[in-house]
Amino acid sequence: MNVKPQDIASLIELFESSQWDELYLKTQDLELFLSTDPHAKMAGSAPGTAPTLPPGLGLPSVQPTKTAEPTPDSAAQKDQPAVPPHWIAVTAPNLGTFYRSPKPGSPPFVEIGQAVEPQTELCLIEVMKLFTTLKAGVKGTVKRVCVKDAVMVEFGDILFYIEPA
Amino acid sequence: MRIKRLFVANRGEIAVRILRTARKLGIETVLGVSEADRASLGAEMADRAVVLGPAASARSYLDVRLVVHAAKATGCDALHPGYGFLSEKPELSRSCESEGIVFVGPRAETIEALGDKLAARAIARETGVRTVPGTAHMASLDAARAAAADLGYPVVMKASAGGGGRGMFKATGPAELEASFDRASREAESAFGDGRLYLERFVERARHVEVQIIGDGSGNVVHFGERDCSVQRRYQKLIEEAPASILPAATRERLHAAAVKLTSHSKYRNAGTVEFLYDVDRDDFYFIEVNSRIQVEHPVSEEITGQDLIARQLGVAAGEGVGLRQQDVKIAGHAIECRINAEDPRNNFAPSPGRITRWQPPAGEGVRLDTHARQGYLVPPFYDSMIGKLIARGRDRAEAVERMLAAIGTFVIDGPKTTLPLAGAIVGHRDFRNNLITTRWLEDIGLPAFMAG
Repeated sequence: MNVKPQDIASLIELFESSQWDELYLKTQDLELFLSTDPHAKMAGSAPGTAPTLPPGLGLPSVQPTKTAEPTPDSAAQKDQPAVPPHWIAVTAPNLGTFYRSPKPGSPPFVEIGQAVEPQTELCLIEVMKLFTTLKAGVKGTVKRVCVKDAVMVEFGDILFYIEPA
Repeated sequence: MRIKRLFVANRGEIAVRILRTARKLGIETVLGVSEADRASLGAEMADRAVVLGPAASARSYLDVRLVVHAAKATGCDALHPGYGFLSEKPELSRSCESEGIVFVGPRAETIEALGDKLAARAIARETGVRTVPGTAHMASLDAARAAAADLGYPVVMKASAGGGGRGMFKATGPAELEASFDRASREAESAFGDGRLYLERFVERARHVEVQIIGDGSGNVVHFGERDCSVQRRYQKLIEEAPASILPAATRERLHAAAVKLTSHSKYRNAGTVEFLYDVDRDDFYFIEVNSRIQVEHPVSEEITGQDLIARQLGVAAGEGVGLRQQDVKIAGHAIECRINAEDPRNNFAPSPGRITRWQPPAGEGVRLDTHARQGYLVPPFYDSMIGKLIARGRDRAEAVERMLAAIGTFVIDGPKTTLPLAGAIVGHRDFRNNLITTRWLEDIGLPAFMAG
């Protein structure tokens, strides 16, 4: 992947016109981290709040981390107080159907108030009968579940908020 | 059936083009976009846009499962793949069929049969359509050397699974054949996962002509005339026109008949293009391949026939057949299309993504612009660089040329560098005006003239 200065300029423009808080890009010979937070630091070689990024992407991927917009399906969110800035949003890695439980009728993977570890499974995302497990990616407490069970979510939709421990 | 809700599995100008016709026909639309296209013109035009995945095509536009899941989950009963991306992936056609979604394109088996160049050549032979004298696949350099001597140099090596000009190597003699045989095979292997090569005789003065067809899937095929796409750089088309004025009337008729015969034999369903190489010196044509999708350059055929080809595609998909007879297709006038790519033609066509700070399209009689761009649009660096197609129609070729030049002259695009100035230089060149173009003209004459100018 040969990244030219104009590609970086375009990425910066794209970032500025978006509502993203952070943008992280890594190729063979370049690592780029953009943030609206002047105190933000790049967390190692992985985007701190994007635990759902699968490795080995062929192309640069722009991963929104903390999107400000509520998801259309999250009617429950409307009456809730604003999200404290330190909560971490877990977003959908792609479009798919969101499932809170491993099987129909069984209890959900996690409940509000539950403590989670980075490896704790939160939900399933189904794409044409192919189920992917989404993990918390962070140690903390589940504060909010933003999507109803068995609905279609889009890439970047906020599924959970976790308060980091 | 009646299509109620259409999923558009593409982006850019073709997404906008499909949405426009769907809206005109009263069909609801859902557009699947990547994160980078969330705020695109298509996303605004569609009744609903859903974000499939991140900017990377592999995780959005190129993921068959994701696209079909999105179409199902949003209640669509048909899917239009546009061109590029998944449009010629048999898996998409097959997956739609098994999920009960009407695929606006050919059957999976047709795409498979025609997508393999050797299989397509066999179909051509069965239907008596001539191909460029060539070989079956070459197992070794020795076999290739012997075959090339039989065919006569120059020859061209092609990837059996190739397309769009990739994996093609010319050899003017045995030394060049030896030098590039292994490399051609390796590139074919890495680009297409299939290293098989075959050889063809190389035509010195060639023009690229192609016939637009639509089939109903049971053997009835109607053609919409031919196009000439000889202005190419590295086998990529830059300017297309219709009709192909170079063809004598009798040759044109034989060309149309060959295209219809070949696709009728395959019981071709939906829109397709049969590509031929026209040998100017011999006044003869050879079958190249069938593109089993709507093509970038379809507007020039629409302009000379007055037909909406996307509407015809949707009609076939809905089971209404082609909707008209061959004698109902009337060809009148001449149309030229210039592709506008966000590339710098003065810098080896380097991609030039970025913000369009000024966008003032031309107006005028016979001028059409198919685009998703607008002032303030950010051309993302992730995808194909084409940002629009400028089309000019006239009563004859000379009038189309004048209208195109006038349109290019008043078209203002600031921000990214584009191929528009090059298009102006080509269309204004006396060789183009005199219709003396061959497929090598741009690289041999047109580009050097532009660079010097």
